[in-house]
Order: sequence, then C-alpha cells, then structure tokens
Amino acid sequence: MRDLFKRKSKEFELFEVDILNASDGELASVSADMGIGLSPDEMKQARDYFSGLGRNPRDIELQALGQAWSEHCSYKSSKKILKKYVFGIDAPQNISVIKEDAGVVEFDKDYAYVVGYESHNHPSAVEPAGGAGTGVGGILRDIVCMGAQPIGVLDPLFFAPLDYPGKIPRGTKHPKFLYSGVIAGIRDYGNQVGIPNVGGMVYFDDSYLTNCLVNVGCLGFMRKDELIHSYAGGAGDLYVLLGGKTGRDGIHGVTFASEELSEDSETASRSAVQVAQPILKEPLIHVCLLANRKGLLTGMKDLGGGGLSCVVGEMAQPVGLGAHIDLDKVPLKEEGMAPWEIWVSESQERMMATVARENLSKVLDLCNVWDVEASVVGEVIKSKNLVIDYDGMNIFDMNIDFLVDAPLYTRPVEMPVIDESEPPLSRPPDHNKVLLSLLSSLNIASKEDIVRVYDHEIMAATVIKPLVGKLNRTTHGDAVVLKPLSTSYRGLAVSCDVNPAMVGANPYWGSASAMDESCRNLAAVGARAHSFADCLNFGNPEKPDRLGVFHECVRGLGYVARGLSVPFVSGNVSFYNEGAGGGILPTPAIFAIGIVDDIRNTCTAELKRAGNKLYVIGETCQEMGGSEYYRLSGVSGGVVPRVDVDVLKRSCEAVVSSIEKGFVWACHDVSSGGMGVCLSEMIIGSSGLGARVDVSSLGELRSDFKLFSESNTRWIAEVSDAYLFEKIMKRNDAAFYAIGEVTDNGRLVICDNGETIVDLDSKKICKKWDDGIRKIVG
Amino acid sequence: MKAEEIKVAVMVMEGTNNEVATSDAFSMLGATPEIVHINQFQKKDIPRDMKRKIGDYQCLIFPGGFSGGDYVRAGAIWAARMKATLKDDIVKFVREGYPVGGVCNGFQVLVELGLLPGSPAVVPDYPSAVLRQNKSSHFECRHVLLRHVSRGNCAWTNNVGHDAVVEMPIAHGEGNFTLPLDCEDATLKALVANDQIVFRYVDEGGDFSEVYPWNPNGSIYNIAGVCNGEGNVFGMMPHPERVLSKYLLQRWHHMKGAGEEGPGVAVFSSVLDHIKRRF
Repeated sequence: MRDLFKRKSKEFELFEVDILNASDGELASVSADMGIGLSPDEMKQARDYFSGLGRNPRDIELQALGQAWSEHCSYKSSKKILKKYVFGIDAPQNISVIKEDAGVVEFDKDYAYVVGYESHNHPSAVEPAGGAGTGVGGILRDIVCMGAQPIGVLDPLFFAPLDYPGKIPRGTKHPKFLYSGVIAGIRDYGNQVGIPNVGGMVYFDDSYLTNCLVNVGCLGFMRKDELIHSYAGGAGDLYVLLGGKTGRDGIHGVTFASEELSEDSETASRSAVQVAQPILKEPLIHVCLLANRKGLLTGMKDLGGGGLSCVVGEMAQPVGLGAHIDLDKVPLKEEGMAPWEIWVSESQERMMATVARENLSKVLDLCNVWDVEASVVGEVIKSKNLVIDYDGMNIFDMNIDFLVDAPLYTRPVEMPVIDESEPPLSRPPDHNKVLLSLLSSLNIASKEDIVRVYDHEIMAATVIKPLVGKLNRTTHGDAVVLKPLSTSYRGLAVSCDVNPAMVGANPYWGSASAMDESCRNLAAVGARAHSFADCLNFGNPEKPDRLGVFHECVRGLGYVARGLSVPFVSGNVSFYNEGAGGGILPTPAIFAIGIVDDIRNTCTAELKRAGNKLYVIGETCQEMGGSEYYRLSGVSGGVVPRVDVDVLKRSCEAVVSSIEKGFVWACHDVSSGGMGVCLSEMIIGSSGLGARVDVSSLGELRSDFKLFSESNTRWIAEVSDAYLFEKIMKRNDAAFYAIGEVTDNGRLVICDNGETIVDLDSKKICKKWDDGIRKIVG
Repeated sequence: MKAEEIKVAVMVMEGTNNEVATSDAFSMLGATPEIVHINQFQKKDIPRDMKRKIGDYQCLIFPGGFSGGDYVRAGAIWAARMKATLKDDIVKFVREGYPVGGVCNGFQVLVELGLLPGSPAVVPDYPSAVLRQNKSSHFECRHVLLRHVSRGNCAWTNNVGHDAVVEMPIAHGEGNFTLPLDCEDATLKALVANDQIVFRYVDEGGDFSEVYPWNPNGSIYNIAGVCNGEGNVFGMMPHPERVLSKYLLQRWHHMKGAGEEGPGVAVFSSVLDHIKRRF
C-alpha cells in the first residue's frame, strides 16, 4: 500500500493523512493503523468533511474524531434505545439529569445530591488494581465537576468463580488474581482519597472469565446554589487545566473500551490503562470545590475518556462557542510526546475549568496553597471552531459541531428467544444441606472481608453501615444510609443490585427484577426510592442478538421506573464485553438512591428481640428461573420472577410506613437464596437469637420452592406489634403472612405442613456463611 | 478563655481527609476551628491573608488520612515537613502547655515527630515508638471498644469517665503501637507509672483483650491512645470525630431512649475545658 502519512514538521511528530485520495480499503487501514476505531462509513464522513475544506486532515484531527465518535463517548448504538425507554422520566426532584457527567437531584430545600456511574471493565481485566483504582478516580471527578463533594462510592463487581475449575485461556488472568487486584485498587484509591465506600455487590459467573466487570457508582452532595455546569461561561473565558501532568498512560482508553478484548489485549492495550495517583486527586478535589464555592469558575469538567480532545470541545460546543488551544502549555510527564498523544491522553487526576480573566490570579493562588498544578492552556472563542497551535504552528482546525456530534445508529436487533420451561428437579431429601450450601455459595456468602478493607465511615455520616448487627458478628445490610447534614435528620439510602442469571434467562423480567430488588433494599431500611442510575454492561452491539438483549433489558428497566415515576438520572453503557469465551451475562447493574425522612426511624436486618413476630410480606411463587437454588442444583430454566409495579409500589409504602411507625424492628429483603437465606442472615447478625417459622400458610408450593424461591417484592420483617403492623399492611393492600417468631435459642427451625424441614444451629449457619469465600482466598 | 475565643488549627496537607468532621467537632462545642494547610505556615509566595503562624492558635489537631500518600511510613512525610520548618514553633507551643492532638494518621504524625510518647527535647532527633502495620497485615474499618484508663493526666480526656468503656470506629492499616524492643518492658512500665496510657482495647465483656479483632491491630498492652508526660499532647488510633452522634454507633438501633450525644464528644469537650481553665 502506498504511504498515506506525510510528516509535516521536523521538530515534532505531526503527519498529514492523505484520505482525500484514499480508496475505501485504504480508509479502513488508516483507521486500523491509527487505532482510532472509526468504521468505513465514519471514515467516509471524515473524508467528505475534509474534502469540503479542500485539505487533508492531520493525524491529530483524525485522532480527535476517533475519540469523539467512539461508542464510549458518543453512545451512538445505545442512545436511541435509551431515549425511548429510560430517559425523560419527569419528576419534581430532577434538577439536572442525564445531560451532563452526573445527575443532580433535589435533597431538600437547599441541598441536592449528585449521582454518577461508570464502568472500568476492560482496563480492570488487563490491569486489575490500576483499572479499578482509576475507575474510582474517574467517577469522583464526574461528581466534583458538578460542584459536589463526593460522599460515597459503590462498586458492583463481577468475576468468574474464584475456584474456576477449567483451563484459563491465554491472555486471561485468573479470577482470584483479578478479584484481589480489583479490591486492592478500590481500597487503596478510595481510602487515600477519603471518600467512604458505602456499598456494592460481588457476583460470580463463568461468563465473566475473560471479561470481568468493574462498575463504580458515586454519590455526591452540594448546596443547590453551588451547581456548576460542564460548559464555559462565554467567549474570552480561559481554559485552566488543573491537577496531574499529561503522559503516555491512557492512550486510546475509549477506543479500547469500544472493542472486544482479545488474547493480545494484555500486550497491545496495556498503555490504554491509566496510572492512579490518589494523592494528587485529594488536593485537586479540594481546590476545585473551594474555587467553585468562591464563584471563581464559569464551568468545570473532568478529563476522562478521550482526555483533552473530548473535554475542550464538549465545554464549548453546548453554548455555541469554539476553542483556541496552545498545546505547548499542557504540562507533560515525559518528553517527545506527539501532539496527538497529548491531545488524547487519558492521564488521571486532571480537571478542566473555564475561568473569567479577572478571576485567574485567585484561582492560581488557591492552587499554589494546595500544591496543585494549574496551567492556562487556551481560551473560549466566538467562532464555532476548535483550533490548536503547537510550537508556533496551526495543527488543528475543525468545526466543533461536526467533531462533537457523533453519528447515531439504529443497528439491527434480534430479539432473544425465552425458554422458561421447568427443568426436572425432585424435592431434595435434606433441606438443611441445601440451605448450608447456599449460604456458603460465592454469591451469597459473607463479603465482610471486602467491606472491612474499605473505609466506609470516613466523613462520619454512615448511620446504617454496610455490615449491620452485633460488634464483630455482623451480617449484610440491605442498604447503606447516610446522614449528610449534621443539622438535619434527613438521610440518603443507597443500594446496588442485579441478578445477572435472571437477566440472562429473561432479559426483560430479569432487568425488572433488578429494579424491584433495588426498591426493596431501600424499603427494608425505611427509604423510599427517589432516583436510579444504571451501568449497562453488554456484549458487542454490532451483533444483533446482543443488541436485542440490550433492548429488552432497557425496556424492562423503563417499565419499572416509569411505573414508579422514579427517574433515571445518570448512567453508563459499556458494550463490547465479550472476551474469548463469548458474551458475558447481560448485566444491568442498578444503583438506587432513596430518601429517608428521618434516620431515627430506620431499621436494620438483624433480629432484635426474642418473642417478636416474624412475617413475610409479598407472595411466594414458583419462580425459580435464575435462582441461586437452581444454579447450585445444576439446572437451568424455570420462570424468572415477574414484577407488578403497582404491588411493588404499595408494598414498599407499607414496609416503609411500618418501619417509620416503629413496629418493625428488623427487616430484610428476600433475594438470592430465598427465605431460607434471608432468615439465616437475620440470625447471623443478632446476639445469639434464632427463629421458629412455619411456612404452611404460604400455599401449595413444594417446600424447597417456598424456601428458596426468589419471587420479587418480598421481605421478612420482625414485628413488635402485630395488630398495628397488620393494619398498615391491609391499608396499603400488601400481602403478608405470619410465619413465626424470634426465639432466644440461636436455632433456625422451619416447618412446613407438620414436617420440620430445617433445623440448624446459628453457629453452623455463621460458619458456613463466613467461610464461603474465605476458604478459597484465605 | 471562653470557648469562642479558642482558635483551633485543624492541620492538613495533601492526603489528609478527616478534617471536616474534626472541625465540626470543635465548632459544635462553640470553639473556632480553622482548617489550615501546612503551606499556609511555610510557603513564601502565597497571598498574605492566607499566611498563618502556629502561635495564632491555642490548640493544634492533626486529623486522619493518608498524608503524602503515606508512601514511606505512615505519618513520616508529614512529620518530616513539620520538622523541616516548624520545629521551633512546635517545641515552644508544647512547652507553653498548649494542647496538640492527633487521630489515626495524626497520631502517627505525632509519634513520628517524637511528640509522643514524649521526650525532654519535645521534638527529638528520632522517634521512640512506632505505629507498625496491623498484625492482620491489612487496612481495616470496624468499631472497637476502648476502656479509658487515664488517671487524670491527659488534658484531652478528662470528661470521659475514668474506667468508662466507649465505642469508636477504627480505619487504619498501621495502628500497631510498638515500643523499642530492647527496652520494651521498662518503657511500658514508665508509661503506666506516668499515667500516659489513655485508651486500651477491650472485648465485649469489658476485659482487656489481645484477641483479634477486639484488639484490631496487635498493639502492645492493647494500647489505643497515649499522651505525653505533661498530658497536653495526645494521640489515638480510633476516631472520636466519627462518633459525635449516637447514630453513628454500630448498634444504635438497639439503644432506645437516651440522649443523642456520641462518645466522641467528650474528647473534644475535654480539651476545650482544659484550655478554658488553663489560659
């Protein structure tokens, strides 16, 4: 092939790319050679644009286009589907949702909370600690750039089983290595930056073997009048780059995220993973928030995917302006970087602010006190062009609308075929044994060893902690509750949920189930769902079956959210999670935020007092599809639990109001492992209490289905005043069944139709649950 | 002095991250805390209205965090930066009897500075104790129980009842209080004799316990907090500023009735009362 690249400068690396005269085949190879991930069609659009200008592009211009038009930055395959089902849920609490880096939602008259959600899947699969750490770093910047103080990080993680028995494919890291690396990355970054880690989830399935998932959600908090937008105030404003220097780490991160991992990703894409420097981030957060509070900034945006190339354009274009950048002014980590490398580098710990000239010296003074590097790198201009000079030469001049407005696609979809036929599975001879193996299964067993290495209490606001119950004998809580203001009892509850097995078996109802689970986790502590964010992890959208699954999932999420009138305020789509072994389970990880009117009227999951009555709220059905019980029994199929939004709404209201009134002393949602696991977890965190339960009243189901069904919209509640509790349930038309009482003998005894089907000592329950993961990772 | 006249410097540098809760603790008790970056004491080229002197304050507190990333030994970087330019000011401040406190990373800084467990030089050339890595060899965050064993020497804990057991959270990887091995016994005996041991880890029965995780880090003699011989310099690994309200305790849902004040308040009120009496 003839050489299409012509060097334009002796002093530094800048090439002109001859695309005007290139054949279609040559266009494709230009995209591949430059690693910019543009499709043949997109390359043709670029050619048309530059032939209109009557010149060939420079390498940096094509690189910028590759960044801006990547799936990761532009949502070009997902946007239309998202718009149809989950965007635009109108709610009075919305302040600024979906549009910017994070969603801003009303907390009370004066304050707002901010929600962000990101994935860092591919970097974590290649370099687990660095990938996960920079994932935390990135989401913190998304919150800070709205002017909010981050107050909690949540991280849903998905790996192959830690004791994966098969052969590990070439180029893939062992799940145990990924697991400990990812946790160490989150621990080291989050703890050092000083933002509490207040929740998340860990889920194991073979399908994540070559492509683990690392999602990071973040909650922020701010005075409403401190909201700052991600765009410039006006022409003449200066672009001030704050924080870390720019280097060769994180080159092509967004294109790396927008293609499938391969066995060569380790060597080919290592440089796409950024280097985490939490100790630069901590003062950077301070400076950004202080400067904003003093009104010194007109706009603020974080440098994430695409680095400067995305942030500069995205800050000017929404307000109809352009930008003029002096690339020489960007402080560098190393010498000899080509201009395009500087432009697209995703080096961490950097923020961009736009500043009116008269405030510049004040901003620089503040940065000086905190030892934060700050450089004026350009200015906002009236013309709608993005112009870059480097070493006295103009190297970039493009229309900003063409650059930022990526094409949107309606790609072909193939709808999934759902098979929910019941597999043959006979009633187990010993329910004790089943329950104990569920308790020690990776997806259910104690996650204490992870939670304890994260600081979940820094900032002194965590009034319900991730682990609840007795000191040094805790159990999993349903949702963490934060009390962000010392002057108010109002609280924020957060939870992250999804059962990917259900989503895989039935994308629509599985996704709806994830929404249901989020709502019931919030309700279990006494919180009402107030907003949602979603991190949608799927396969390659260019494969119609993958996009069909995505479509059905998004439709399921929208069904529940619209029915509840609770908005999606932020989110993230991560496609191309395929890896060598085929697609991952479709994984829409939901991050739900609830409001607690008064944190004094909340409750926790562990049993409190012998003699109190136990109730199950909601209907238990033979909905075993995607259940942990079926997975453990080695069978698939079965009906994935359905969601009736009206029932969900009424039942949540019933649960929350009975908690508020103080009749419910403990409450736990029924999810993985069904009622058997739910009751066990309520016993685990108690001070040696037990439960005696009879499930005969739940109807004609087989005992194992009663115990282990994961039907939605259910809780188990410990109730101190049965009469008043039942009254509230009836008033809200919520189904409930009295099933037994709390005992003081530390045993879990469950009977069905006159037969004792479970009789276990709490010590045995605790041991199995404690050791499930510990026995593998130590 | 009146409470509102007491100016408290909540010391920070990059990586400090418990400063807001610490500052809140003092302001809720009516004092005047200010979060001050170390550069405000040291750096020449900053605006005049941002410059500060140690002598501007009646109390210094070093909050928790990961100062300087703690990439050397926890607290060592911050201590070195203090020593380099503020040594004389600190010595004067301590000798005049003004209180200095440190929590978690702040405690590590005071030990690295040699202010704790204390020496005649106030800031000696070498530290005489260290907060080593936890026995568990990893960071952990959990609530612990402490018995207040000070017999009255410590200016920072007079309002915590003698022998009282209090619950506070810890969140650290290096909290294993260790004395020089060649004179461990003698040093420990002297600390006890001089009433320098302030808090010790206990189990749920209230007994001193070396059993993990009641003693979460393996500290000698279950030490969680110490003061200097004069009682005005004090450091502890657990975080009193994180339990200013009872709603931040592990099991507050089990505690019906009772007031809302958390056990951490008494630490901050003690030192303010001390300053009010003494200055």
